[in-house]
Amino acid sequence: MNFADVMASSIHDMKNSLWMVINTLESLDDVPGTELGRDQLCLLRQEAKRLNTNLIELLTLYKMENGRVSADVRESYLSEFFEERVLENEASARALGIALDWECDPDLHGFFDEGLVMGVVNSLIGNGLRYARSRLMLSGGEEDGFLAIRVEDDGEGFPEAMLDSGDAAGQGIEWLQGRTHLGIYFARMVAGLHSNKGLKGRIHIGNGGSLGGGSFTILLP
Amino acid sequence: MESVNFRRHEIESKSFLVVDDFGDMRSMIKGMLATIGVTDIDLAANGADAVTAMEKRRYDIVLCDYNLGAGKNGQQVLEEARHRELIGLGSMFIMVTAENTREIVMSAVEYEPDAYLTKPFTKDLLRSRLVRLAGKQKDLEDVEHAVRSKEFEKAVELLDEKLAVQTRNLGELTKLKAEFCLRAGSHDKAEAVYREALSRHDLPWARLGLGRVLYATGRLDEAKMVFDELSRDNPGFTAAYDWLARTLRSMNRHRDAQATLQKAVELSPQAILRQKALGQLALHNEDHDTAERALSHAVKLGHHSVYKEPLLYAGLARAKAGKGAGEQGLKILAEMEKVFRGQPTSALYSAMVEGEIHSAAGRTQEAEDCLVRAGELYRAIGDEVPAHLTLELARTSGKLGNHEQAKALLKDAVRNNHAETELLREVGDLVRDLNMDIDPESFIGDIRKEIVHLNNRGVQMARAGRLQEAVGLFEEAAAAMPGNKVVNLNCARVLIMSMRETGLNRAHLEKVHEFLNRVQRADPENPQLRRVQNMYQQLVKESA
Repeated sequence: MNFADVMASSIHDMKNSLWMVINTLESLDDVPGTELGRDQLCLLRQEAKRLNTNLIELLTLYKMENGRVSADVRESYLSEFFEERVLENEASARALGIALDWECDPDLHGFFDEGLVMGVVNSLIGNGLRYARSRLMLSGGEEDGFLAIRVEDDGEGFPEAMLDSGDAAGQGIEWLQGRTHLGIYFARMVAGLHSNKGLKGRIHIGNGGSLGGGSFTILLP
Repeated sequence: MESVNFRRHEIESKSFLVVDDFGDMRSMIKGMLATIGVTDIDLAANGADAVTAMEKRRYDIVLCDYNLGAGKNGQQVLEEARHRELIGLGSMFIMVTAENTREIVMSAVEYEPDAYLTKPFTKDLLRSRLVRLAGKQKDLEDVEHAVRSKEFEKAVELLDEKLAVQTRNLGELTKLKAEFCLRAGSHDKAEAVYREALSRHDLPWARLGLGRVLYATGRLDEAKMVFDELSRDNPGFTAAYDWLARTLRSMNRHRDAQATLQKAVELSPQAILRQKALGQLALHNEDHDTAERALSHAVKLGHHSVYKEPLLYAGLARAKAGKGAGEQGLKILAEMEKVFRGQPTSALYSAMVEGEIHSAAGRTQEAEDCLVRAGELYRAIGDEVPAHLTLELARTSGKLGNHEQAKALLKDAVRNNHAETELLREVGDLVRDLNMDIDPESFIGDIRKEIVHLNNRGVQMARAGRLQEAVGLFEEAAAAMPGNKVVNLNCARVLIMSMRETGLNRAHLEKVHEFLNRVQRADPENPQLRRVQNMYQQLVKESA
């Protein structure tokens, strides 16, 4: 067994435990009389989900490093993709009192690797839930021949140091206010795996947007 | 809203098998399904139990974790289920994985799951996914039916009809259409579909498909270029390496082919078919270390796989012998005989490789005895002996110095497969490897010409209305080369033509059946076979 096998199987194990934790926490929501600990429950669940997202990101990045990951690009409908992301994250959003919605032309389709982009969007939603005040919105559209997938919130927005940057910032992993840029690094790597007719995918980090807070866009050729 | 409810009801009434090695996981997924309204749920704790459960009853939907601890993994369960047809038409196999990357799909696999589900998932996501999949599958029911009965042309027709009226999921339909064009042998059509898809987007599956068409139509340089670029742009896409290796082998660049497969094996070592291909290439290149490694791996993977076969053990024994460890080779053969007790192919391999090992050790008499035994076992398999076994025995005969027998066997192989390019190439390789005193090109060319000439003569006779003569000619040919598909099909064809004139005839009908069955067993996807079967059905219908 090499390191990759050990890592893959232990991550499998860790994720199973996390899944049990998440699922148990979710079922506790339905039990009356747990009202007292609701906030703590919510926090626990959020942290468990973040841990899970981080594990996925680490494992995928490790594989990318070793040239083991290529984008399995297929045609997908963005509306179906968003619908599933909302179904996955709805319960956490509700518990946090945040409205999670999606918006796009139901016929809009694009070419991307659903598994990889799913990892990116789940991670963005996870982050967004921490920083949004009351709303988090997924939207999609076509921009200059790219498929744009956007996650926006109505929070404070991204700190100045993270903006703009699009491709320059976060080349390495920086530590800023106690948090890593793992999610952003991951998003950039996944975008970069998508290419078409000489164009490469990229990301854009901005503030303002339609909800006035943070606005994160992944652009796929 | 109505239709959504109706669909949900469909999911509720389906039978489920949940496979996971963790008890807590099994009960959790069962709980989720129960909340959705599913009542018919069976559980299995490992691959072997899952297979046993599927042997007992047919499930509509199998939810199987990829990682099942020791024993079979999810992919091996899927392969066994599909290969042995334990799950039928219209049932779904969903692979549950811990990762969001799809490297498993990208490996050398024959069967893909109908969908993937990444852990952890919520019950809402599970329901939505199941409903969507069930809908898609219902749309493709007729296509799947055609495919299962190998009627690829029909499948393409059905997909064309859908492509003409549907507005959604066109990409998926197009991908399927190209695949079935390729399998139906309609290379021009497949090429057009792939090129059209590529004009819209650089899709890896379309690039792979285009390369496969180029390969199938003998444009090896172009095929190589496509696979080279594809593997360069998508280094994790291991299927590109498999096809690149295949192309290089056809170009007689065996060393490069081996290096290519070695790269793919490093990326994903779990694919048994790839380890097998690598082992065989390495044996050919006399790189016994690599062969030993790859084939040990394949034998190990084979413990839980439907792809377990004597060839893997025989190859491993040869690799050991090649390294001078003949005794270890004999041990592997003994193990093979135990694993495949009573199987004629296993006994044949055992006799051949044992003979090679004795011969290398200078035990001439033992080697000769083995060769005699191998000859008897070979003949006992009968007319329908697979061509690769004929080549294997030819190789062993040649190595042991019996060039007469080797030549006779090679002649048989060419006569029975005069239209199979890959096989003829292997015959050529073998003639060269064995340093026989013949020129491979003219050896193969002469036999080919003779058979092509015979087929042409028969077809002309039939066209000229001399059907009885044509029947006589082809029957004689089919008796002499029972494995030759073209001859068998022509024979069936002229018999059908003659019955069209003289009416149905029991003896003739039985013969047609036998000729068609021979081809069906050897090459069920043969497009010509489909045509002659249609002629036959037409005849029976008209005469009824």
